[in-house]
Amino acid sequence: MPSPIPYGDNLIAPYRVLDLTDYKGVFCTKIMADYGADVVRIEPPLGDPGRSKGPFPNDEPGVESSTYFLFYNTNKRSITLNLETDLGQTIFKRLATKADVVVESLAIGYLKSLGLDYESLSGSNPGLVMASISPFGQTGPWKDLKSSDLIAMAASGYMQITGEPDQPPVRQGNEQSHFPGAQYAAVAIMAALYHRDMLSGEGQYIDVSQQEALITFYTDAHPALAWMQMEQNVTRVGTNSTLVIPLGAYPCQDGWISAGVITPREWDSLAQWIYEVTGNDEILNEKYKGGNQERAPHMDVITALFLEFSARFTADELFHQGQKRNLVFLPVNDVSDLLHDTQLDASHLWTELNHDQTGVLKYPLGIFDSEDFAPAQSAAPSLGQDNQSIYEGELGLTAQEMAGLRSARVI
Amino acid sequence: MPAAGMAKRALEGIRIVELGPYVALPLTGRILASLGAEVIKVETNKVLDEMAFIPAWSKGAGQPDYQRHKKRITLDVRTDEGKDLLLRLLAVSDVFMTNFRRNILSRWGVDFPEVRAARPDIVIMWQTGLGGNGPYYTYKSFGILVQHMSGVSLMSGSPGSPPVAVNTSYSDYHTGVFQPTAIIAALMRRGMHGKTATMESSIFRSGAVTAGPAILDYQLNNRLPERRDNRDSSAAPHGVYRCQGDDRYCAISVEGDEQWAAFCHVLGNPAWTQELRFSTAFARLNNQDELDRMVGEWTIQLTSKKVMDTLQQAGVPASIVSQGQDLHDSEHLKARDFYRETNYYVAERGTHASQWDEGPSLSWSMPFNMSKTPVEFGNYSNIGEDNSYVFGDLLGLSPTEIARLSEREVIY
Repeated sequence: MPSPIPYGDNLIAPYRVLDLTDYKGVFCTKIMADYGADVVRIEPPLGDPGRSKGPFPNDEPGVESSTYFLFYNTNKRSITLNLETDLGQTIFKRLATKADVVVESLAIGYLKSLGLDYESLSGSNPGLVMASISPFGQTGPWKDLKSSDLIAMAASGYMQITGEPDQPPVRQGNEQSHFPGAQYAAVAIMAALYHRDMLSGEGQYIDVSQQEALITFYTDAHPALAWMQMEQNVTRVGTNSTLVIPLGAYPCQDGWISAGVITPREWDSLAQWIYEVTGNDEILNEKYKGGNQERAPHMDVITALFLEFSARFTADELFHQGQKRNLVFLPVNDVSDLLHDTQLDASHLWTELNHDQTGVLKYPLGIFDSEDFAPAQSAAPSLGQDNQSIYEGELGLTAQEMAGLRSARVI
Repeated sequence: MPAAGMAKRALEGIRIVELGPYVALPLTGRILASLGAEVIKVETNKVLDEMAFIPAWSKGAGQPDYQRHKKRITLDVRTDEGKDLLLRLLAVSDVFMTNFRRNILSRWGVDFPEVRAARPDIVIMWQTGLGGNGPYYTYKSFGILVQHMSGVSLMSGSPGSPPVAVNTSYSDYHTGVFQPTAIIAALMRRGMHGKTATMESSIFRSGAVTAGPAILDYQLNNRLPERRDNRDSSAAPHGVYRCQGDDRYCAISVEGDEQWAAFCHVLGNPAWTQELRFSTAFARLNNQDELDRMVGEWTIQLTSKKVMDTLQQAGVPASIVSQGQDLHDSEHLKARDFYRETNYYVAERGTHASQWDEGPSLSWSMPFNMSKTPVEFGNYSNIGEDNSYVFGDLLGLSPTEIARLSEREVIY
């Protein structure tokens, strides 16, 4: 049995993770940091590009106050290091010798050109787990293509099925391409650490494709399968489903309500309620009863009857009264609604973190709710805040050597 | 501990029991199975997973995506003998994961205290829709609608447009891919720290944790995020442009002056690209409507593939908006062996799974590769196909006993 590790209240042991990610991987290292890993962000001396991305408090840009950087770097530490200098590369190799994990999302082959790829680093640290998160993976004819949030959404096919019929494809907002690849990378890294520490002692290399990860996030639209079996391309249907009726987001008195009816029993309950409210007995017509296949031909009529009904209630009334009638009615929330949601509060989504540029803010760290562990409690690091503890404390550099590195712009 | 290099599966030796239908929980099971854990899925022919009938045009053809590489057993845990067998199985397992409500598990006699009594150090992952604690605990939800609840749909589309959702169980996937990380971490913590864990996940929270910087922006600046459609706050052109062919588009994102110069060069530096109103990133942002119109006049003359290829060759980020056929035929995805052929079983309501016809389908492999412990695609079992392995080999029931319990519709 391996020696005890100081877990504290954390789920993940304090594994040292060297973080060289941009938007493609920054959420991977965040998950690990929030749950206990010792993630050290390696920033160029002028700071990670994420620090210059808004929004900022009062729209005043500052290297320590980007909400983008603050959100994606909770519970990480920061050191500065110029990897494009010989000395910077030497220092990185020394750090990697003692690290458990390196995560990177740089252009394919870039680290190799610096002599910092997995082959180079694992020689002196066979237990190293290294993960690369790239737009299309490390192999294949598209591997070197340029990408962005929009390009990732387009290439994966996500956009093909998002938006109104006969209108151009729409991406999901909020840069959702940050998440799928990063989440899978975290899974693979934990599996590799399990294999190393519980089974074999050896590290390994992990290649994550953002495109493939995004494809798996809309699997139940079955685009490739639909082509294989029917030679049809699935396309946009708008906010409301054409397969399940009703299902989607509908206007109500004060905004929107989302609703979905699948089983015959749910339909009976909804139809009865609509009848009680509108007095229109058309909704009780036998031909709409049963499963979706019965309702599908009557989508227009049913949607019109539903809208006549939903317009008479607020979203909150529909949500709670609908659920009491055993119907899946859910609010259409914006971020302010999330911050005030009693359920999210009760299931420990929020952690309050203090940062000197912003004061105390609520962060959504509680992916898991457990009495056995909790998310870590540190706000994002200031630029290079851990230079001294890591370079002097761990690598044993002298104050004089540190000054030399600073003047050579290595750190 | 085996000698170094012996174990070729990352999660060799881990046994996981999965009890529950739909998307998120089975996806977690499939991921863990592909990493080498033994995942035993407990189902019954009496109450089939609704996902077995999706997609409507080929019922069950989508199931390999969620259920591959598992050992699939039939067990009616609502019966006394079924409950006892489940507890016996859990006693020799490392992880119990379920998405049933606690009051239902309790009614069946397999709530967490009973499970812990059968196996004190078992790791428990309890997946909920809206969260196990709080006022909505009993409320029902679907992944496709939780996109609206978790804030994503009102950050998509353009100002004033209806909430924009992807036509799939989007939020389920967040949960399905979060859970394996925590389960593996909890197993390591148990091994190295001696403490097991019970954890609860929710599809609502999984979506809400992705609400991102907008959460901080609201608290600091008291404003909601701008709905930008396909546009960007600092780059233009940035959008999808109509190309030759039916429903064909190419996405283009031009970031910075260097990419803009390369973009203009690809177009042959027509006069309009040199106009003052497009000369800086700021100017391009301010004149986006006109800029998009001009770009669209170029793209409509070409196929989306041609637009993508010529721009990418010049170092400008561009991609076709992939359709099903593009993904199916992609030379890139073929080179990476992403989509693979698989069998499946055509589900029929009111029939026993053993009578279902087999057919060809398509499934993806994991979106990552591991150099020392390759991810496994595995095989696809039908419901109940692994009964004799699990009940016989693992739990030691005789063939006669298994036959008796099948007759009594316990193993059924």
